[in-house]
Amino acid sequence: MSIFEKIGGEAAVNAAVDVFYRNVLMDERISHFFDSIDMASQHQKQKAFMTMAFGGPNHYTGADMRKAHAHMKLTEEHFTAVAENLIAALKELNVAQEHIDEIIAVCLSVKDDVLNVPPAA
Amino acid sequence: MTAIVFAGQSYALADGESVLDALLRAGHAIPHGCRAGVCQACLLQSDEAPPANTQRGLSSAQKSLNYFLSCQCQPPASLSAQAVDQAGQRVSGVVREKSWLNQRVLRLRIEAPLDFKAGQYVTLWQSAQLARSYSLAGSPNPQNLLELHIRHYPDGAFSAWAAEQLKVGDALDIQGPLGQCVYSAPANQALLLIGMGTGLAPLCGIVQDALAQGHSAPIQLIAAARNGADLYYLDELSALAAQHPQLGITWLAQHANQATPPAVAIGDVYTHVKTHFASLKGYQVYLCGAASFVAKMRKQCFLSGAGMADILVDSFVPFATTKT
Ligand SMILES: Cc1cc2nc3c(=O)[nH]c(=O)nc-3n(C[C@H](O)[C@H](O)[C@H](O)COP(=O)(O)OP(=O)(O)OC[C@H]3O[C@@H](n4cnc5c(N)ncnc54)[C@H](O)[C@@H]3O)c2cc1C
Ligand code: FES
Repeated sequence: MSIFEKIGGEAAVNAAVDVFYRNVLMDERISHFFDSIDMASQHQKQKAFMTMAFGGPNHYTGADMRKAHAHMKLTEEHFTAVAENLIAALKELNVAQEHIDEIIAVCLSVKDDVLNVPPAA
Repeated sequence: MTAIVFAGQSYALADGESVLDALLRAGHAIPHGCRAGVCQACLLQSDEAPPANTQRGLSSAQKSLNYFLSCQCQPPASLSAQAVDQAGQRVSGVVREKSWLNQRVLRLRIEAPLDFKAGQYVTLWQSAQLARSYSLAGSPNPQNLLELHIRHYPDGAFSAWAAEQLKVGDALDIQGPLGQCVYSAPANQALLLIGMGTGLAPLCGIVQDALAQGHSAPIQLIAAARNGADLYYLDELSALAAQHPQLGITWLAQHANQATPPAVAIGDVYTHVKTHFASLKGYQVYLCGAASFVAKMRKQCFLSGAGMADILVDSFVPFATTKT
């Protein structure tokens, strides 16, 4: 059983996306990345990402991650900010620590793609 | 490289180019409007199944016929396309009434057999090439009258034509109804509806619909405009509120002027909402009007606690006449 199923499937993801996205928009370290984008489509993307991080049915690949973030020139600090907001959202929704750890492990696995670090030779 | 095969000819798509733009570039007169996936003026039909994102908002019948929005289409592989049966997508309406709600807002009542829900919009065709979307004000009625509130821009291709040339008795083609900004809340959920300018039009219908369906929780309607004189329907809506204690109405203008009615408060709509609705947790929110207003207010309401799925919008995206 994936975390996605354990924490309540799509309904749980919907609640988590709202809390997470709200946190992100209020975080000065990263909110400016979201100033001029369409909220509804960004919300959809966040949802697709969370579904992936929770091990639910998704179509995300490392290549997508790379392409989507390549132009943003993201740093370690930005990545940390997003991860912290995600953890805060999951805690607010009373997700068990062991599940949070698993979710963060998935996020760390795409870190090099998000930060556009060249793949190791 | 992908290509579009239209009327037996193949055209290569430039990087990032839509099927619509490629065909226009090749000299085909493809009808179109918003280029934003909203008006559905740019419908084409394919022999194959088109990408799912190009069928957003289409009816299931249209989807099964492989109709798609050419302005949204950048196919991953070559795609065939042909014109759709235009007549099948539209009904013909006759203008029954034309009047002015204030100096800038024209009200049209058009008789047309159209099965719609309050809060939806239609796309009106001025000619074979010029289309614009307008929200339906009010609810379905036995006279089959569609009411539209059209802001007059003196240099507007459609609105200036409607203001200056369109006459009672004229016929015009109507496509739709379209859109999901309709009353859909449980009776005990608090509602906040905010309309900017002619964004009041769809809200009139949504409020009527909510009341007709016995909505019991508070319904707060904010009608905002730049100038006090831009507001309209003060008497009509105040009369409705007098009959329904759960309905509260605020009239708000950014600037006062001589013609500002006394009921109108002066202030900034974003500040007003922040002050009076500090927490929107649990609300259903309806936002209607210019796209810039809807985008900014949507963000503010979301940050104030409204769930993303509980914010319904009718966003008047501009119709770009040239490629952006
Ligand atoms: C879903 C939807 C629903 C809509 N509902 C309504 C409605 O109920 N009532 C209504 O009045 N409009 C509504 N609109 C907007 C409408 O479709 C047209 O964009 C608008 O009437 C202008 O069209 P036009 O042909 O007159 O002007 P255009 O020829 O498209 O534009 C010409 C000039 O008009 C001016 N102009 C046009 N739009 C704006 C703007 N938003 N702000 C400032 N200047 C502008 C500019 O000077 C522009 O250069 C809606 C749009 C959408 C997408
Ligand atoms: S939906 Fe394609 S032009 Fe409006």
